[in-house]
Amino acid sequence: MSKFKIDRQTLDELNLLGKFRAGSVYHLFNQVRTRGGEQLLDEMFNNPLSSTVLINERSETFKCFQEHDFRFDYDVQVISVFREYLDTKTYNHKIRVYFSLLSRSVLARLTRDERYKKSIQGFQAIVQVLKKTTALMPLLSWAPEPFQSRVQEIQVLLKRPDMDQLLQMDIYSEIDLGTLVFYEHLLKGKLHTDMENVLSFIYELDVYQAVGMVARAKGLGYARALEPEQNVFRCQNLRHPCIEKAVGNDLLLEEDSNVLFLTGANMAGKSTWMKSLGIGLYLAHMGFPVAADSFEFSLREGLYSSINVADNINLGYSHFYAEVVRVKQAAEAAASGARLMLMFDELFKGTNVKDAFDGTLAVTEGFAEYTNCLFVVSTHIIEVGEELRGFPNIQFRYMPTILEGGVPRYTYRLKEGITEDRQGMMIIQSEKILELLER
Amino acid sequence: MKLETDAQTLEDLRIFGKREQTGIFDLYNDTHTRGGEKLLREMFRNPLSDIESIGYRRHIFAYFSEHHLEFPFEGSLLDMAEKYTASTKDAGASRQQILNDKDIENGVVSIIQLTQKLRIFIDIDVVKASVPFAGEREAIITILESDVLQPVLRDKNSGKVSYSAITAFDALFRSKGQIKIEGLLHLIYLLDVYLSVARVALKYGFTYPKAHQKGSRILSVDGLFHPELKKPVANDMVMEGHSSLVFLTGANMAGKSTFLRSIGTATFLAHMGFPVAARAMEFSIMDGLYTTINLPDDLGMGASHFYAEVLRVKKIATELHKGKKLFVIFDELFRGTNVKDAHEATVAIAIGFARNSESRFIISSHIVEAAEQLEVEPGIDFLFLPTRMNGNTPEYTYTLERGVTDDRHGMLIIRSEGILDILKNGKKGRIYCNEAQ
Repeated sequence: MSKFKIDRQTLDELNLLGKFRAGSVYHLFNQVRTRGGEQLLDEMFNNPLSSTVLINERSETFKCFQEHDFRFDYDVQVISVFREYLDTKTYNHKIRVYFSLLSRSVLARLTRDERYKKSIQGFQAIVQVLKKTTALMPLLSWAPEPFQSRVQEIQVLLKRPDMDQLLQMDIYSEIDLGTLVFYEHLLKGKLHTDMENVLSFIYELDVYQAVGMVARAKGLGYARALEPEQNVFRCQNLRHPCIEKAVGNDLLLEEDSNVLFLTGANMAGKSTWMKSLGIGLYLAHMGFPVAADSFEFSLREGLYSSINVADNINLGYSHFYAEVVRVKQAAEAAASGARLMLMFDELFKGTNVKDAFDGTLAVTEGFAEYTNCLFVVSTHIIEVGEELRGFPNIQFRYMPTILEGGVPRYTYRLKEGITEDRQGMMIIQSEKILELLER
Repeated sequence: MKLETDAQTLEDLRIFGKREQTGIFDLYNDTHTRGGEKLLREMFRNPLSDIESIGYRRHIFAYFSEHHLEFPFEGSLLDMAEKYTASTKDAGASRQQILNDKDIENGVVSIIQLTQKLRIFIDIDVVKASVPFAGEREAIITILESDVLQPVLRDKNSGKVSYSAITAFDALFRSKGQIKIEGLLHLIYLLDVYLSVARVALKYGFTYPKAHQKGSRILSVDGLFHPELKKPVANDMVMEGHSSLVFLTGANMAGKSTFLRSIGTATFLAHMGFPVAARAMEFSIMDGLYTTINLPDDLGMGASHFYAEVLRVKKIATELHKGKKLFVIFDELFRGTNVKDAHEATVAIAIGFARNSESRFIISSHIVEAAEQLEVEPGIDFLFLPTRMNGNTPEYTYTLERGVTDDRHGMLIIRSEGILDILKNGKKGRIYCNEAQ
């Protein structure tokens, strides 16, 4: 299957990536300890999976790491020394390696040259890490497939005779130049790929345990991927993972109920709910834990959203046009027959209320026919909902507003139907504007 | 008295430029001196609200527009003089550090030249004959004839001044003469503003509006256009007597916002006594001017767009309640809510506004249905900006007509982008029809 389609705008709107952006989903999960672990996490975030098997396998692995409360207790400093040692090249011929190390050891004595010390430290780091890893192996007996095979692979590697000698080394006793030369040549030469393999295994461990830890701390659940043909999306108590004490909601979207029509006042939580859906779906496609009690989904081919654009109303007419272009992109993607999730928040907000009404209605009707896709649309124009009542595959939900003494309060809990909050006139009345004009 | 207005209004009318964008201020700024520019900016920051001050300024501008005169000084001369006098204001001890001998020489020479040139300028027949400028001419003469400047006017060999003479003048200017010279510079800057605005009026064909007493219920513009447009279309509008509110309709691109900006800008400038972009204009002086053309969402405050609009309406209602006479513009009122609320709110607010017959309101809206209910109200007029369809492409006349239109092109754009066709002809799943239809 092809790569999961998502574009910059959607990534930004859902605030998925962004290492240095507080509140991003990446930031939430970025509890890894090593540089390599971080790179691996980056890679996972940038490449959602596109097979149910891979997703469920990875998800299962995270789950086991969480359940067994696996702790990553490598010394991060030692791992980076290991990395550095492997990255500094040496000569192919042992003789040349010998002379280069010899000259360094002499230089180290005469001047303040640190390269000899670095070689020793690097070698010691490898011995330490390999010992640590060997000790760790029995603790990973619970690891599920396919990670179990990875564990086996590393185990076999560590049991090889040429490794055995290395593992027996005592780094606190003297290491002579001959040994150093021997291993420098071996580790950077013949065993280089094996060493790389061990390192990347450690990075994997780092990511698995970090994500497992976040899942435990935030009370996240695990998603189950289903075949695309089942065309279903079901979640219970789905929340926004980056919001503390977020309110969760349930939703079921199926082929004969694939459109969610969301209404509610401006601050009632429509956008946050849509973002929760988008983030949930994206994380699920990465095989990551999701902020829900349960989460089942058919594999999708992409995700399109249009959420935050509407907040910037100043752009006026050109803004309307930008939205039209966005909808067009989504329409083209849907028309290609791809199974997508499409989310439009407050479409055409920047224009007049009547064009927004017509536009939202026409676009919703158009997309509603794509039963392969899931479609979520929100609006404050409740009249659109009345027009759509006849579609059997459209579900109506709203975010309620409760007025307490003229002050609106929001529950953030989805209710069935279309909102009847007529906040507009209520606010005008509670502000006593008409009385002011009456004089 | 000052015309009340706020940051939102200045922003809407783009009075001051921002970054690359130029503002109305920049259009009127043709001053030669930095002091003149500063004074002009002050005037833009403080529009007036009493007939005497507006009339006073207006007459001077108009006089200089009629009798074309060049500003008699070079900007560099004033820069030197400014630097020289500014240093005097600083604490005495640091004076020597700031000004070296060269600066002092330049300063003294420039003041001598300024004084002598000004003497000649005020004796030009056109200046002498000016009634509006007489007061300020008098003020200039008073300063020129004061003891301090007598030796300057006596000095005949202009240009070359000996070192000893400079020392003597320097002592004179910076001790006894300081206040007089500052006063003189201020008058020169004012003159710079007058001549510059008068020049701009001639260049763009602006006109001087006629101000009427507060509460006289007059607002009429003839051939109004937006001064920043290259090929503007002129419009007429009259709101006299008890017709206090105009309900404006038209498609998005038909020019509603531009018209609202034009009339808002003209009213603002008229209250400064400045020339405006129109053939003719008459207006009753107001207490305040408030526009709402590009109202931003205040999400940081947790308020929605609709709420922001309501708060703005409330602010205006409060002012009206105090008996203030206002000129108010609302573009696309209540677009942040649902159709029904927008409808009801628009009707209620429009009727409420229209009863303030000494104020003037222009509301643009797409809710044509509101117009039906407003028709029976006295004091509400209906104007629209038409769209002519040329096949599938809309064309706009930008010329106001009486009545109401429900032209909209949102759907047209959605259709012309082919979105609905793309969706219609795409690969769909199983189809469910709208059973209600």
